[in-house]
Amino acid sequence: MILEVADVSKRFGALAALTRVSFAVEAGQVFSVIGPNGAGKSTLFNVVSGLHAPSAGTVRFCGEDITGLPPERVNRRGLAKTFQITNIFPEISVLDNVRVAAQSRAPESGRAASLWRRPDVDGAALALLETFGLAARRDAHAKNLSHGEQRYLEICVALATSPRLLLLDEPTAGMTPGETRDATALIRNVVLERGLTLLLIEHDMSVVMGISDRVAVLHFGEKIAEGTPEAIRHDPRVIEAYLGGGDD
Amino acid sequence: MDYVLTILLPQLLHGLVFGAALGLLALGLTVIFGLLGVMNFAHGELYMLGAYAGIAVIGVTHSFWVALLVAPLLVGVVGAVTEMTTLRLVYNREPLYGLILTFGLALVFREGARQIWGGDMRRILPPFTGSTPLLGMTYPDYRLFLLAASSLILLALWLFFTRTRAGIVVRAAVQDAEMLDGLGVDVRRVFTLTFAASGALAALAGLLLAPVFTVYPQMGVEMILLAFIVVILGGMGSMGGSVAAAFVIGIAQSLFSLWMNPQRVAIAIFGIMIVVLIVRPRGFAGREGVLE
Amino acid sequence: MSVPGWRALLVFALLAALPLAPGMSRYYLLLAFDALLFGAIAMSLDLLMGYTGLVSFGHAAFYGLGAYATAILMERGVQSVWACIGAALLVVGLYALVVSYFATARRGIYFALLTLIFAEVVYTFFRYTQTFGGSDGIQGLPDATLAPGVLIDTPLRKYYLVLVYLAAAYATCRVVVASHFGRVLVAIRENEDRARFLGYNVQRYKMGACMISALLTGVGGAIYPMRSAFATPDLMLWTESGEFIISVMIGGLGTLVGPIIGGAFFTILRDKVSSVVDWYFIVIGGVLIVIVLFMPRGLLGLRQLFERRSGRAAA
Repeated sequence: MILEVADVSKRFGALAALTRVSFAVEAGQVFSVIGPNGAGKSTLFNVVSGLHAPSAGTVRFCGEDITGLPPERVNRRGLAKTFQITNIFPEISVLDNVRVAAQSRAPESGRAASLWRRPDVDGAALALLETFGLAARRDAHAKNLSHGEQRYLEICVALATSPRLLLLDEPTAGMTPGETRDATALIRNVVLERGLTLLLIEHDMSVVMGISDRVAVLHFGEKIAEGTPEAIRHDPRVIEAYLGGGDD
Repeated sequence: MDYVLTILLPQLLHGLVFGAALGLLALGLTVIFGLLGVMNFAHGELYMLGAYAGIAVIGVTHSFWVALLVAPLLVGVVGAVTEMTTLRLVYNREPLYGLILTFGLALVFREGARQIWGGDMRRILPPFTGSTPLLGMTYPDYRLFLLAASSLILLALWLFFTRTRAGIVVRAAVQDAEMLDGLGVDVRRVFTLTFAASGALAALAGLLLAPVFTVYPQMGVEMILLAFIVVILGGMGSMGGSVAAAFVIGIAQSLFSLWMNPQRVAIAIFGIMIVVLIVRPRGFAGREGVLE
Repeated sequence: MSVPGWRALLVFALLAALPLAPGMSRYYLLLAFDALLFGAIAMSLDLLMGYTGLVSFGHAAFYGLGAYATAILMERGVQSVWACIGAALLVVGLYALVVSYFATARRGIYFALLTLIFAEVVYTFFRYTQTFGGSDGIQGLPDATLAPGVLIDTPLRKYYLVLVYLAAAYATCRVVVASHFGRVLVAIRENEDRARFLGYNVQRYKMGACMISALLTGVGGAIYPMRSAFATPDLMLWTESGEFIISVMIGGLGTLVGPIIGGAFFTILRDKVSSVVDWYFIVIGGVLIVIVLFMPRGLLGLRQLFERRSGRAAA
């Protein structure tokens, strides 16, 4: 088990964003989390990645307890996250975006030598950009990329930190159906090639059904179902939640 | 017992009033920061301008009460104009620009006041003199009035923020500025009104306190520094925390002044801040979940 | 590792030759001293403001503490430049460590507020402590010595002292900015939260940037009494911090060179304006407002930091 979420609850004041959510992800799996808007999916990601400490419950990554660790420590352990709203470094170039991410894993990082040296990670950075078709745009300011390109850049930046578990928060948000298909295939290939585990939040059912090994469904902060994509598709509780929630 | 009544208690009451004024300033800072995203370095100057506007109005009308009504309105207008012509232009930029802008505004207001009214200390006479025997000691009537007035103002504000729709919206927006977009309100007008109202409240505090302290161009600087400490202690984004911290600091300031000279008082207050920052880095009521 | 390009070398050569220019009186030489000193401090502030995105409203405290370190040593007969600079590094370093720790623990706005508050406390302390001269500060200091018997007594020698300081500070900033550390600072400026999710301990980086900036400024402060022969609490006033900020803004955030020019320009402006006009602060405030609203990029503008073309590192 690469990730174990056990009885995680999260309250913001009077608002219960998550209530006793539990699931486990096996290494190499593609695990999707779906649910209507406001179900708590992003909050779940925020708890797992260290942005929030849960009000209750634990998160274990590769057998180690990471509950409540800050984001930078969680990332160092091998967990990288992308954001639902594109969250890159706008005023620097595309290549530099990926470079600064890759450099965090260089041996000089965090040491005094980093005050005068600059590790050469161009090779790894460029390779990532190639994979996502952004190599031609490497000198452009990140803020000038198209929406789809920025979503890809999000993923590149996360991947540059050499994670074992990748959390993608609605990677295809705002993409056209064509872009979504391409993105889904690309993501699936990259994940397989690198032996990554993928935890995915998605609204687009075609994406979810197409690449997931397992699916969990959140509704009002609770997990109401978990199983194979086929099982979830036909689960009456899930259908009702979506019809009632008015989404997809 | 004598000491408690004749020295300690009045100083405590004074601290409450001072704390209330600080609370008004800190509240204004918190609301402006939460809603507009700008830390208003010029807020102390709005407080100061309230006192000077009061002097101007009293000069014309010879009535403190008229000044109490008109001066805050005047400063509110100044605030509105300032917001519309300058602040509005930096909302979408990096926060650094808003800081530097309000810093520049503070300089202009302060020096402007000094140019117009001179750098000497001025006095505003309290609208009524006389004192009342209270608990075995005579207490100046104006100070009693200040106690009552500040309680009323804070009560009114509390009602506004908890009972009126506008107040509830503003309070929620302070926590999460983006929620305004979904409400269909004219965000620009809300921003201007908020800034103007905060300024007017600061001005009111300045004028009310003026007969107790002296009036001089630097008076806003000391208040704003304390207000910053209050905001840091109360936790950014927490309105209740700001007011609570304001009272703590106000009373501390008042009581310490009994026993130490002004410089040591300042260092003591600073020491309190450091201790709190070590023990509770987020302040009394800092928001959880904001990446600190 | 980046090396100052030929343009920087040329400029420094010109600056070194400046005293030979016609009309270079003692007055202008000392004005040049002030301009270069101010410019160097503005540049070190740019490391914090332009590159890391942190506004320090209390930078004058680093400056003033450096000056007092020198003054206190000189008062006791220690006139060596090296001892004074060493003392300043120690004192300012300790202070900066404490301030930066508290100021970087939370998000950006706290940095501005806490640096301001700390500086005010330092000012209050020096202003009202008679051991350090109270509001008069420490006056009547002797000249500094470079080595036994070598006094820095003439305006010419003082000028070269500050020029060496500027060169060293500039080289330091250039190296830091081009390094891994410097790139991370920019990432923090651009998107602090994202940087955390990449595994960077953002607080440590911010503290590092603050320390470097503070130490450079502190050395500048240590040099000041070697020209003025005094150190007063006014060096630590928040208005002084404001003047550093305005120099950075005039010159252009994130350019290093811009703030040097901005600082020099501002020094000369201040020299001319404050003697003529009483409402000097309105001018400063007005300039800040105008720059923020209409010329946010300053004279030189916000440049791309991740320059890939080699040899482009300078000026």
